[in-house]
Amino acid sequence: MALMTIAEALRQAIREEMRRDPRVFCIGEDIGIPGGFGGAFTVTLGLSEEFGHERILDTPISETGLIGVAIGAAMAGLRPIADVQYGDFLFCAMDQIANQAAKMTYMSGGTVKVPLVLRAPVGATGRGAQHAQSLEAFFTHIPGLKVVAPATAYDAKGLLKSAVRDDNPVIIFEHKLLYGSKGPRAERGALSPVGEVPEEEYLVPIGKGIIRREGKDVTIVGKLLTVYRALEAAEQLAKEGIEAEVIDPRTLVPLDKELILDSVRKTGRLVIVEEDNYTGGWGADVAAMVAAEAFFWLDAPIVRVSAPDTPPPFSPPMEQFYVPSAERVVQAVKSIL
Amino acid sequence: MATDVLVPPLGQTVDTVTLVTWYKREGEAVTQGEKLYAIETDKATLDIEAPASGILRHIAAQPGQKVRVLSPIARILAPGEEAEAVPAPTPPAAAPAGAPVPPTPAPAPAAKPPTTPPAGRIFISPRARRLAEEHNVPWQTLQGTGPQGAIVERDVRAYLQSQAAVKAPPVTTGPAITPPTIAVMQTIPLEGPRAVIAQRMLESRQTTAPVTLMSEADATALVELRRQFHEAGIPVSYNDIFLYIAGRALRQFPRLNASLEGETIRLWDEVHIGLAVDTERGLLVPVVRDVDRKRLADIARETQRLIERARAGQLTPEEMSGGTFTITNLGMYDVDAFTPIIHLPQCAVLGIGRIVERPAVFQGMIAVRHRVWLSLTFDHRLIDGAPAAQFLQRIIQWVEMPHLLLI
Repeated sequence: MALMTIAEALRQAIREEMRRDPRVFCIGEDIGIPGGFGGAFTVTLGLSEEFGHERILDTPISETGLIGVAIGAAMAGLRPIADVQYGDFLFCAMDQIANQAAKMTYMSGGTVKVPLVLRAPVGATGRGAQHAQSLEAFFTHIPGLKVVAPATAYDAKGLLKSAVRDDNPVIIFEHKLLYGSKGPRAERGALSPVGEVPEEEYLVPIGKGIIRREGKDVTIVGKLLTVYRALEAAEQLAKEGIEAEVIDPRTLVPLDKELILDSVRKTGRLVIVEEDNYTGGWGADVAAMVAAEAFFWLDAPIVRVSAPDTPPPFSPPMEQFYVPSAERVVQAVKSIL
Repeated sequence: MATDVLVPPLGQTVDTVTLVTWYKREGEAVTQGEKLYAIETDKATLDIEAPASGILRHIAAQPGQKVRVLSPIARILAPGEEAEAVPAPTPPAAAPAGAPVPPTPAPAPAAKPPTTPPAGRIFISPRARRLAEEHNVPWQTLQGTGPQGAIVERDVRAYLQSQAAVKAPPVTTGPAITPPTIAVMQTIPLEGPRAVIAQRMLESRQTTAPVTLMSEADATALVELRRQFHEAGIPVSYNDIFLYIAGRALRQFPRLNASLEGETIRLWDEVHIGLAVDTERGLLVPVVRDVDRKRLADIARETQRLIERARAGQLTPEEMSGGTFTITNLGMYDVDAFTPIIHLPQCAVLGIGRIVERPAVFQGMIAVRHRVWLSLTFDHRLIDGAPAAQFLQRIIQWVEMPHLLLI
């Protein structure tokens, strides 16, 4: 066991997969240049020294270009790990992702595989509306993509390794406040959870969630940073005798529905917390799924805690108002007790 | 108006800075835009301007101290103004690991949903309703304590607990209540038909709104009718005649031939009347089907068959189910009037007393007449007292003038 940040765990996952399989390579902007940061958040720092610039491949600033190259390489038999500096830039490459990567396997009747891994940082961290969005719902909506969202170092490593070995395109959303990036790439207000990561080989299966805290009174589902907001809220609620169960789905597509449904069947109440905007958010789909499949187990309306329907503001106090806090989660729980 | 002096955000990665010096003292006048204090980052030392004009008050950080960006470290007040002190800035080392940096602003107050359902509506959560229906809880009568006044699981559980307390009173050891000196003759476990009866009776008492109406009828014509049947060699009992009368009356008053299921009252289009029969095994209620369409002789044959099977313990579950109304007769035990219990899920039950000669006013004279008391218990949830009384009136009319049944 070693204690690691998420950035370190991702780096180790990439290193192990690249050593294991010569078809694996990284492609992105400023991921391996000498003296650079190792990508926007230090995940690929130092990898070019071991693997060289042929396999830690820097590209010009063109997301359409680099993701297109990655998809083509994947179709031709390589296993690329592409990354964008900010998830917001995925919109530049939306045709490549939604129309090409996601659909090729279907359109070819399964003869073409696209084993692409696409890493994308999300979350509001004082950088303004174009570097702060939570984009999960855009991509969970597209059939053909798998979407994972690790919130711990253990899951980050295990899920990235599973993603590399998956024959479908997998998008990994990583929250900027959870990386634990150091030095000039340390984000203000970061939680930077450090977790134990086994040294021996392990995978975290895509499609399996986890209960982060057990409780009987209410189920709180969070993802990425909001898992921690939910845990903070559960801690506060526990002081008042309210036992919240906190679920981290870890994978958004395919979703571990039974884990959530089983929990709701136990607690009868559901609060979903996410940093995305309210309308059409990922949490709306979870709420609809639970209403459809566990209606008669519900003892109160399903409540969603999210950002409002505005772009993330640049002003730090406004941003703090915008993102869901543990206090808002506590209030949401109390409103349905 | 007070203005907070906030440590400015310095780039996107700086969490804390060191306060180097104040250029103004507590209580000194400051002008917006002039140098107020200096801070130091790992890269540079910067002078910070006063954000407003006024008097510098409530200085909360001292030179050399580390302060978080965006935290207030003093206030600028108008002359003479008072304001609450600035809380001491949290030193970063004291913050719990993983805590968010700036204090969380209070969220905008959300519009509060109403605390009670609109008039005439009952809100009940799907979970609570499922539980209530599993246990036959009359949830319509519960008081909701959930969001918007909804009945939630805990309300149903509280009801079930209170019922359990009724069924099984806590064991008391006080000698006044269970004197150890009382000798027990026999202990009988509550099981079999007795347990079923106990459960059904309690359930009926607890989940319906029973009202019993009692009226006395002149049965002289009925007695004469039965005597003539017997003379003619047709063995007809009073129960058979009451079944015949009730079957036809129920046709005219379908509201008593009904069941309440959840929020729906079903008026049945068939009349099947259960007849309470006392047996060694306890009370059994075989059902005579389509009573309203059967001839009296057919009813008589059917009741005779069912009673024999009941006494022999041969009734099938089918023969005891599906009733839409019940008749129970205690006349043979010299009972006049009583309060029968509704056989769920039916709406009503008719109790028949003894037919006995009594002095009565008849055609302006005191005469000896055959008289009978009838006791109708009905569930007031399904039907009101007046229509139930009209039903009883109709039965009495036919008891007193059975020839009207020929019409």
